[in-house]
Amino acid sequence: MILNFILSGFLIITFLLVITKRITGLIRAFRAQSIFLFLYTFYQGFTQRNLELLVICGLVFALKALVIPFVLLRIVRRIKAEEDLGLIINPQLSLVIATVFAYLSYLFAHNAMPRANSPESAAFIASLTAVCIGFFLMASRMKALGQVIGLLVMENGIFLAAGAIAGGMPFFIEIALFFDIFVFVVIIEVFVYKVSRLFTHIDTSKMKSLKG
Amino acid sequence: MLIALIILIPVLLLILSPFVKKTRTLGVINASGYAALLVVCVLFLKTFLAKGSQAVSLWGWVYVDSLSVFFLLTTAVVSFAASLYSIGYICTEAEETKISGRKAGAYFQLFNLFCFTMLIVPLLNNLALVWIAIEMTTLISAFLVGFHNIKESIEAAWKYIIICSVGITFALLGIIFFYYTSSRDAQVKSLEWAGMLAGSGMFDPKIVKLALIFILVGYGTKAGLAPMHNWLPDAHSQALSPISGLLSGVLLKISLYAILRFVMLANLSIGYAYSARLFILFGLVSLGIAGAFILIQKDLKRLFAYSSVENIGLVSLGLGFGAFGGIFAGLLHAFNHAVTKAFMFFCAGEAVRAFRSNNMNKMQGMIKIMPFTGTAMFLGLFALVGMPPFSIFIGKLLILIAVFQGKYYLIAGLTFFFIALAFAGLLYHVSRVILGNAPQTMPAQKEPLSAKLALLFLGIFILGFGLKIPQAFLHLLENCQLLILGK
Repeated sequence: MILNFILSGFLIITFLLVITKRITGLIRAFRAQSIFLFLYTFYQGFTQRNLELLVICGLVFALKALVIPFVLLRIVRRIKAEEDLGLIINPQLSLVIATVFAYLSYLFAHNAMPRANSPESAAFIASLTAVCIGFFLMASRMKALGQVIGLLVMENGIFLAAGAIAGGMPFFIEIALFFDIFVFVVIIEVFVYKVSRLFTHIDTSKMKSLKG
Repeated sequence: MLIALIILIPVLLLILSPFVKKTRTLGVINASGYAALLVVCVLFLKTFLAKGSQAVSLWGWVYVDSLSVFFLLTTAVVSFAASLYSIGYICTEAEETKISGRKAGAYFQLFNLFCFTMLIVPLLNNLALVWIAIEMTTLISAFLVGFHNIKESIEAAWKYIIICSVGITFALLGIIFFYYTSSRDAQVKSLEWAGMLAGSGMFDPKIVKLALIFILVGYGTKAGLAPMHNWLPDAHSQALSPISGLLSGVLLKISLYAILRFVMLANLSIGYAYSARLFILFGLVSLGIAGAFILIQKDLKRLFAYSSVENIGLVSLGLGFGAFGGIFAGLLHAFNHAVTKAFMFFCAGEAVRAFRSNNMNKMQGMIKIMPFTGTAMFLGLFALVGMPPFSIFIGKLLILIAVFQGKYYLIAGLTFFFIALAFAGLLYHVSRVILGNAPQTMPAQKEPLSAKLALLFLGIFILGFGLKIPQAFLHLLENCQLLILGK
């Protein structure tokens, strides 16, 4: 019951990501998604009385719900970016595409998982949907930050997938992955500043000096 | 012991580099460090073969078998050459005040970090740590791609980070699928190599097939396989030339190493044939796309970048015909391509510096203004397109023999056609740069000694491996072939 609530929340937030038109809105939606990811991990850790999972859920909260959104919002403030995300595909159509992704994930999960209709399979479907939607965001949003958030959403989806189908990765691997995401965000911050200084915008569709 | 040295040398150089103020001294120290690294790797190969190529595992973190040794050796050779070439390259850049002294120091630190991450990939025991190390290679080398902080290079670096990170995220999904089936079906709850390999017979074939597609698309992005190669020409053409050599020569192969590990895991549950079909598909697409783009290129370094796509396609094709000796041929070609492509990028770096442009229409008569580098590039061109007696010829020939032995005549025909396209394109474009009349106003250019030495060093491999491949190396390749086929 509680798990269903958490997973529905995760999925709804994932859909919310594709209809957002503004950069700060997207960052906040990402933060909300991370909070549901935290709740999922916390629930698993709490019911299984698993200390490692509780440590990991603490890290999810600290990194994905606090640090990364903070860094991203700071970037937006510092470069004074326009709020518009530069949608190549409008929100209505994006929503239709996202629904198709969810349905495909459902079919895929039923084929790959032996036990359908279990909480694990529901989590797996939600995670695959998040991976697809993250990828879709990267392809259909022109602003550099939109691409970065798309990638982070994919990462969230993969994190949920690992928890759903394999009961989480080995402990120190999870820690190493967190470290990797952290380094990624720090380096991306440096590069976003460089892009905005040199190009005076962060619109990747206008970066066209290299061709062929 | 020797393995500890391999890991320690780049770390020591990294710690040392902020304390040396003079750029040239720093470069020389760096190059001697990598010379030592190469010697250590060769010594390690000797002891490894003397002990009958038994896999070594150490401290629970390190696992070394023939495949690791092969990739380690390739990395060591190319990174030594790149460190040697860096001395002259960075000093000249500093003299021309393109970069400041502090930035030159930063270059050597990044260089060492980059080499360190590439060197630990083949050593790591845990497949998830391999993934992290490969992601780190992207994040670190992005700084080397965007080193000049101009529009083009930052654009290339941005594309490089984003595309490769997405690719590698797909690979992570593939790893999770592997972990899922290994923990559910084989009860192996870790991602350590030996355990996973032992349990790999019990993996669920359906999930392994799915996972392998994610792995191949994911790491394939980083390996430069088309159609996920879009980042490659940008990053390779905008990176500093020593780094272009490292990117083309080693980084692409390091991703290939990760793919091969998962192919080995898949062998026992679904057989080699499935992986082989995927390799052939990606190989042919890469060859075709690269062939077309080579013909229409205007930028010298982009030309060589597309040639890397072509060659990685050939390697992949060879791996696809693994049942007919293609793995041996593919790996041999991977090594030969690594040294030859690094050689060509070093020459191209000198040419670009002299003409102050990447555009081949503005470059002519290189042999007149830089006799040594021009001649080297001319010979290297023949090596690259696959003329005897140079080493790439042998690798290409063996790959084609494998394709013919598989009796896939259509694929063989297509391969010939695509190779011919690349042959014609490369020969036409590069010979125009080398020959012809140099601009009247252009004085003869200085050719740094370290660049000459780096070219000579790589030249030994290009010519030497074409004439006679050392017994130890052949032995290593045969072991790799047996390992990958799971025999």
